[in-house]
Amino acid sequence: MIAVIVVRDGMLPLGADETVAEAGGAAVLVGTGVKEAAGELPSLSTGRLAENGTFAPGRWARQLAAVLDEEQILLPSSPDGRDLAPRLAAELGRPLLAGAIRMTEQGAEVARWGGRVCVDLIAGGPFVATLQPGVRGSAPVHQAMLTEIELPDAEAPDVTVIEVLDPEPGTVDLAEAPRIFGAGAGLGRAEAVDLLGKVANAMGASLGATRVVTDAGWTGYQRQIGTTGVVVRPELYVAFGVSGAAQHLGGLGDPAHVVSVNTDPSCPMTAMADLGIVADAQAVLAELARTLEVR
Amino acid sequence: MTHTGPGSQSTVVDESTRTFDVVVVGAGPAGSAAALEVARAGHSVALVERGPFPGAKNVFGGVVYGRILDELVPNWWEHIPVQRWVTRRQTMVMTPAQALTIDFRTQDWGSPPYNGATAHRADLDSWLAEQAVEAGAVLVPSTVATGLLRDHAGAVAGVRTDRPDGDLTAGVVIACDGVNSFLAKEAGMYPTGHEAEHLTLGVKQTLALPRQVIEDRFAVTGRDGVDIEMLGCTRGIPGGGFLYTNLDSISIGVVLGLSAVSKAKTRPEELIAELKRHPAIAPLIKGGEQIEYSAHLIPEGGYHAMPELVGDGMLVAGDAAAMCLAAGIWLEGVNFALGAGMYAGRSAVKALESGDVSKRGLAGYRTMLEESFVLTDHRKLRDFPDLVLSDRVQRNYPGLVCDLVQGLFQVDNPLPKPGLRKLAMRSAKDNGVRWRDLLRDGWTGLRGLK
Amino acid sequence: MLVVAALRWSDQRAAVDPLTGEVRTDVHTSGASAADRAALEHALRIAEAFGARCLAVTVGPAEADDMLRDALSSGAHEVVRVDGPPATVAEDGSATARLLLAGLPERPDVVVCGDHSADRGTGSTPAFLAQRLGACQALGLIELSAADGALHAVRRLDGGRRERLRFGLPAVCSVEPAGVVLRRAPLPATIAARTAEIPVVRAGVLESLSAGAVKAYRPRPRALPAPVGAEPHQRVLALTGALVERTPPKVVRPETAEEAARELLDYLRRHGYAP
Ligand SMILES: Cc1cc2nc3c(=O)[nH]c(=O)nc-3n(C[C@H](O)[C@H](O)[C@H](O)COP(=O)(O)OP(=O)(O)OC[C@H]3O[C@@H](n4cnc5c(N)ncnc54)[C@H](O)[C@@H]3O)c2cc1C
Ligand SMILES: Cc1cc2nc3c(=O)[nH]c(=O)nc-3n(C[C@H](O)[C@H](O)[C@H](O)COP(=O)(O)OP(=O)(O)OC[C@H]3O[C@@H](n4cnc5c(N)ncnc54)[C@H](O)[C@@H]3O)c2cc1C
Ligand SMILES: Nc1ncnc2c1ncn2[C@@H]1O[C@H](COP(=O)(O)O)[C@@H](O)[C@H]1O
Repeated sequence: MIAVIVVRDGMLPLGADETVAEAGGAAVLVGTGVKEAAGELPSLSTGRLAENGTFAPGRWARQLAAVLDEEQILLPSSPDGRDLAPRLAAELGRPLLAGAIRMTEQGAEVARWGGRVCVDLIAGGPFVATLQPGVRGSAPVHQAMLTEIELPDAEAPDVTVIEVLDPEPGTVDLAEAPRIFGAGAGLGRAEAVDLLGKVANAMGASLGATRVVTDAGWTGYQRQIGTTGVVVRPELYVAFGVSGAAQHLGGLGDPAHVVSVNTDPSCPMTAMADLGIVADAQAVLAELARTLEVR
Repeated sequence: MTHTGPGSQSTVVDESTRTFDVVVVGAGPAGSAAALEVARAGHSVALVERGPFPGAKNVFGGVVYGRILDELVPNWWEHIPVQRWVTRRQTMVMTPAQALTIDFRTQDWGSPPYNGATAHRADLDSWLAEQAVEAGAVLVPSTVATGLLRDHAGAVAGVRTDRPDGDLTAGVVIACDGVNSFLAKEAGMYPTGHEAEHLTLGVKQTLALPRQVIEDRFAVTGRDGVDIEMLGCTRGIPGGGFLYTNLDSISIGVVLGLSAVSKAKTRPEELIAELKRHPAIAPLIKGGEQIEYSAHLIPEGGYHAMPELVGDGMLVAGDAAAMCLAAGIWLEGVNFALGAGMYAGRSAVKALESGDVSKRGLAGYRTMLEESFVLTDHRKLRDFPDLVLSDRVQRNYPGLVCDLVQGLFQVDNPLPKPGLRKLAMRSAKDNGVRWRDLLRDGWTGLRGLK
Repeated sequence: MLVVAALRWSDQRAAVDPLTGEVRTDVHTSGASAADRAALEHALRIAEAFGARCLAVTVGPAEADDMLRDALSSGAHEVVRVDGPPATVAEDGSATARLLLAGLPERPDVVVCGDHSADRGTGSTPAFLAQRLGACQALGLIELSAADGALHAVRRLDGGRRERLRFGLPAVCSVEPAGVVLRRAPLPATIAARTAEIPVVRAGVLESLSAGAVKAYRPRPRALPAPVGAEPHQRVLALTGALVERTPPKVVRPETAEEAARELLDYLRRHGYAP
């Protein structure tokens, strides 16, 4: 088994180390600044480093297919991994087992229906898979053997990257915020998310949200916390109507204090909270706003 | 219920540009029956519904009595999406710690042509609308009628909707838009100031339970089911309770006089919770997991509270015309809506064919209703809602009968059994009932049933 | 020139039994996701900008016809349904891509997809489409527009970063439902679409991977770095956190919202987050 990690300017994608750990320590690092990135992977034991220019999934898939013959190829399901994995699978003529939680004997266990169910997929031969960030954790190895390689040339149509934009100012405060109030679908309406923002503000906290909330347009997509959103490292996380899907928790770091307000006492968010409050999130929020005299 | 924006400034339309012969607003039971009749007669008809599909926003108990469908869909019972056929019907009179149940069971209702059935509105309404669509009606979902269009003479000539280019012109508009009909009000067909007094709030929970558990607890098998109506479980707030068995869930809820419940400072959820804890009910629903909670208004004023039913170019049917019977042990609306919709469709067709869609041309609707069960039942039971919702029936009689029966069956040895007369006097006194009132109420009830 | 919107028909509000993992779906709540509706809006706009035809396609069952009717009323010039099963969560997207392209009347110049579906949720179908078409791919977009004969987009990267892209045709894009909403269909088009004939193509069977039973999601245990400490008992202490002060987790069920808010504020005060 081998991990394929896309590196941008020495920066690793979310879930890179876990993917390397799941692959038993073997990885190909491809992109720009790969050598520097290798030093950031505690789980890496044997690394092949391919400096290969900016991300171009069409061309890269062809190049990588020419050098990879491991039975199982694993990528993190970060944006670049998600986009490269199917191309690689197609080039190699293998099935894709996307969104895995763990590797199994003959395939992988994958999450479906928004992370609410798992299915054991059986590949029946070599395959390519992507691993959900945040599901596994990792254990560092002491020594890594690194070799530099050059990928063979290949041609394929790809887009032109004009520029890479830094996180918007609106997200920087979130990424670095020590206290975050998180809005989930259980808040029910855009107005409630607005109010949560104000209450958070009054408590010196920033507003974060789940994908469902940003998809519904209740707040800007920049506020989305998770594997495909902003990765945060708060000390305090207060979740309002958040179910705690793996993709959300994957971007949440490891807060010292977690509170979950949710009507479902057994949802993952409440299960991992220090204080679980089984109650209607909108009503609690309204009451909080009243107490804090926030309007 | 809120309606999207009133488009009260009516627009004048030219009759030559009619898009449909008939526009029906609201794809509930009334609307679908109306559209079905019009389409069957070969006229063009649009069925405008604000929900993404028929039944999306609709709530009911619900037991549907399908007899009227005999006239609309041959052998309907082979196709209608029902949960269970009601073969056991109970009327329960209760106080917080007592319950007297009349339990009736007949296997006649468990085979064709059947009597009542429990059903989910999403399934039932979708199926009814499908009948209309198969007959040629055009269902227009996710579209809200926001106002009436009128012709030069001021007669209703279509509706405006909330879509771009959203005017729909028609010969006849049939308003089947449910309780508190916004269209009938805009047309000026409702007397003003009747509002909350004649409205009941229905709230309902659906509790999931395995099919086998339901069959064991309620002593039914196969597709047979149970319908329980309850009196005396609403803390004296005018209304009643109900419990119906679905295939693998139970619907339980209460209907409450709207003005009384808002005065009483009790939340309907508390009353349902209390009902669910009642010793006669708790064992029936134990372990049921709530999968749905819904609330909806019911027009309960009956015959006295109905609006005008016919206007120039317009008919009103179903809950929009307050044709719902919600009086304690009765909760029937779908059957009246189906009947009224059907007759509205028929009279629209007649009017179109005679070339007169004015109030006069459409007057046959009222006559058909008067001659059918729709208005006959409502006229007959016109005093019933007031009686059933009266303080005495709500607060005093349940205690009276429960105490009476408890006295009859309680063995107080070594005391001798009390005489029936004495028992009756005592129960009446304890529950604040005067015999005069009891006699009069009994008479009203009997007259209603005559 | 042909611009295609790929719409997946699936239940947007499926209920999952948290114990057994049984997924209960309902045709009434099934249809296109917010992302797919955004994809259709983008496809319509791109078609307008290029003076192209816009076609909406799905690989799905007959129940999906109404979703295509809605696409027609919103302005798609044509639609096609490639007959296939619903909720193919064990298929990897490559078979969907193959059938989808086989069902099109001609080779598309632009395909716009949603970034991921509600049921499968892998976001891989568009990449397989790009591979088959020999097109460039731009996936997970939060902005997309057509100008000067090219497409311009902003793609979301992780860590809140984004990249600005420019690309020519043929191209496959996938969009998040950010920033656009599908236009409201005019009434005449809605009425016309209700009775429109939906063309159906049978392009083959959709083969899935073999799969075990669907189970409820259970997080796997997380690996932790080996504990430090010279003595075994120190390592055990470090691993279990036995001597670290920590409040035991607690789940409360307050009767009222007031009480719930008080619980929350008390907690925040106890830990120094509130005055
Ligand atoms: C490829 C991919 C990438 C993704 N990336 C991300 C990501 O980066 N970030 C992210 O957040 N998600 C992401 N998701 C989506 C993720 O899988 C979940 O769908 C999402 O996080 C769920 O959001 P939620 O908790 O708000 O909604 P839900 O899962 O719908 O949960 C709502 C919660 O509210 C509770 N609730 C309901 N009513 C009330 C009430 N009245 N009061 C209190 N509680 C109530 C419910 O019990 C439930 O727990 C991604 C999904 C995919 C497939
Ligand atoms: C809790 C409860 C329990 C009940 N139990 C029973 C029972 O057991 N048995 C029984 O027979 N009856 C019962 N009823 C009554 C029954 O539900 C109604 O009498 C019946 O639904 C009336 O049908 P209708 O077609 O007139 O109106 P509705 O079913 O209310 O349909 C009106 C339709 O119009 C649509 N609409 C409204 N406004 C607009 C607009 N402006 N534009 C477009 N569309 C619009 C609505 O979305 C709706 O689909 C119960 C009611 C409640 C609330
Ligand atoms: N059966 C299908 N028919 C049409 N489009 C599809 C289908 N499945 C997936 N797609 C498209 O591919 C996107 C990503 O889906 P998925 O790969 O399932 O996450 C969806 O948002 C659709 O645009």
